[in-house]
Amino acid sequence: MVGSTSVLSLSQKSQIKQIAWHGLFGGIGALLLLAAVSLVVVNALFLGWSDFWHYLGRPRTWSSLWITIWTAALATAISLAIGIPAGYALSRRRVPLSGLAHTLIDLPVMVPPAAVGIFLLGVFKSFPAAELSTWLGLQVHHAVPGVVVAQVAVTLAFGIRLIKASFDAVSPRYEAVSRSLGASLPRTFFSVSLPLARNGILASVIVIWARAAAEWEALMLFVGGIQGRTDTLPFAVYLDWNGGILGWSLTNSLFCVVIALGSMYAVRRLGGRGHVY
Amino acid sequence: MGSRRERGGRHLLRASLCGLLVVAACRQGPPALLFHAGAGQRSSLDEIAAVFTAQHPGARVDFSYKGSGYFIADIAASRMGDLYMPGEEYYLLQAASKGFIADYDPRTDIAAHFITVIVTPRGNPKNIVRIEDFARPGLRVGLADPEAAAIGLWQEKTFIRAGIWDQVKKNATMFAKCIPELGNAVQLGAVDATVVWATTAVLYLKDIEIIPIEPRLRGLIRLPVALLAFCKRPELARQLKALILSDQGRAIFHSHAYGIEVGPADADGFCADDGSATALDMKWLVEAARVAKDPTIPVTPETVGHLVGEVNRQRLTRW
Repeated sequence: MVGSTSVLSLSQKSQIKQIAWHGLFGGIGALLLLAAVSLVVVNALFLGWSDFWHYLGRPRTWSSLWITIWTAALATAISLAIGIPAGYALSRRRVPLSGLAHTLIDLPVMVPPAAVGIFLLGVFKSFPAAELSTWLGLQVHHAVPGVVVAQVAVTLAFGIRLIKASFDAVSPRYEAVSRSLGASLPRTFFSVSLPLARNGILASVIVIWARAAAEWEALMLFVGGIQGRTDTLPFAVYLDWNGGILGWSLTNSLFCVVIALGSMYAVRRLGGRGHVY
Repeated sequence: MGSRRERGGRHLLRASLCGLLVVAACRQGPPALLFHAGAGQRSSLDEIAAVFTAQHPGARVDFSYKGSGYFIADIAASRMGDLYMPGEEYYLLQAASKGFIADYDPRTDIAAHFITVIVTPRGNPKNIVRIEDFARPGLRVGLADPEAAAIGLWQEKTFIRAGIWDQVKKNATMFAKCIPELGNAVQLGAVDATVVWATTAVLYLKDIEIIPIEPRLRGLIRLPVALLAFCKRPELARQLKALILSDQGRAIFHSHAYGIEVGPADADGFCADDGSATALDMKWLVEAARVAKDPTIPVTPETVGHLVGEVNRQRLTRW
């Protein structure tokens, strides 16, 4: 009798422990969700509707939004154009001195964006970038192209990383089968590898785009905030905070959150995973 | 086979469209003056630029606004820009010593002055009335890092002259990297008192109180403007500089709480008269902070002097 009671209490104990364990983890998760939601809600309440509408009615809010959207989109397109072949090559080919190659590619992820901005200043004043930009007749420093260049410089590295991971998840056997059926290398790439890596690449697109849209340190050093031309949303947040206009900074910050949510939702609708990892 | 070729064609089309987009995006507008300016000068300079472009159709002024500490690295590496207006003469002299400045006359090329003031959170809960109060034990004082922001240097100079620097350092609860950090901290009540430029104080009228500093400790800081050595359109740049230094340009600075007739300064840059030259400016600052908080008082030159624009702007919104 005594023994059976103790067994029962033991199983009860373990059940309680299990509930507590799950409760603890679930609770932390729920807290995190609550914090994320309240971050937006609390700030929206702090700002208030009337201020929000006031700053929403300012043309510069919309010009900043538009600059952010199109520069980040262009930077994403460039990052993909380089990142897809590079990511594929890193995933499939044995790269000579692979450790060194991977380290060099990862470098911009580790180096602070401010340092990237300073390096860009040097690059575009030296051969061949200086000559090339003169020949093309376009100014990169302190001008809109510089925004895109800074965004690409900062996002390309982990763009390649993410795309490589997407290709890593595709078994090379499918490609071997495609080749054995007589498909050319490009056809195998475009009809087999790329569609199979589609979801991963779509998820990478959001990350690259969102990171490009959020970039401002390299921008600050390489381009500077030219109002109405290079002031992306994060730059506008900084400039308005600097000018003591907390309300405008908050409005633009809330816009940044809305953009992030909107782009994730869009990718989900497009058939991607709608989350980053 | 045909579909393959078609697909290849489509890829080519997409690639060339992307290329076109890049080229289209990079096309430049009309040639513009590139103006390196401290982010704090934005409100005044944007207004002056609007006047300038109205006077010079076809001209454009691109401001590269950033914290003053970032300029030297930028200018040294890019060697670009027509005009330069950092938030302190120190940075301009630094640039001049490196040969980046084309012409600068310290006697005439001062657009306006920053004036130091005490600011506290709304209602002045700790009842701060003069610089010596900063030594009071337990007061939360906001200071700026002298390495990073010119205001930090001036706080140090001011408290050393008042003989209370050691106590104030003990009271410091923050070392800001730039002046808006201090303004923001007072606005949100994170510190009990700090010293900032009047131009910073005027941005937070509804949330702070402004206390003028006695003349002996009142800093008058020069805001210089100069042409850069790499200036590509010196003619146009000189015209813009002339507008900034003109009565019209200086009136715009004045409306944003810069001092334009500040009287004599001593060798350290402190007020050298009895404060009468800046007395009216100080009076309107204090009044503006009062009127901005009370919607029943009309905003007119009789109630807030030259700060009508600032008070009206801040009455439109809560933050």
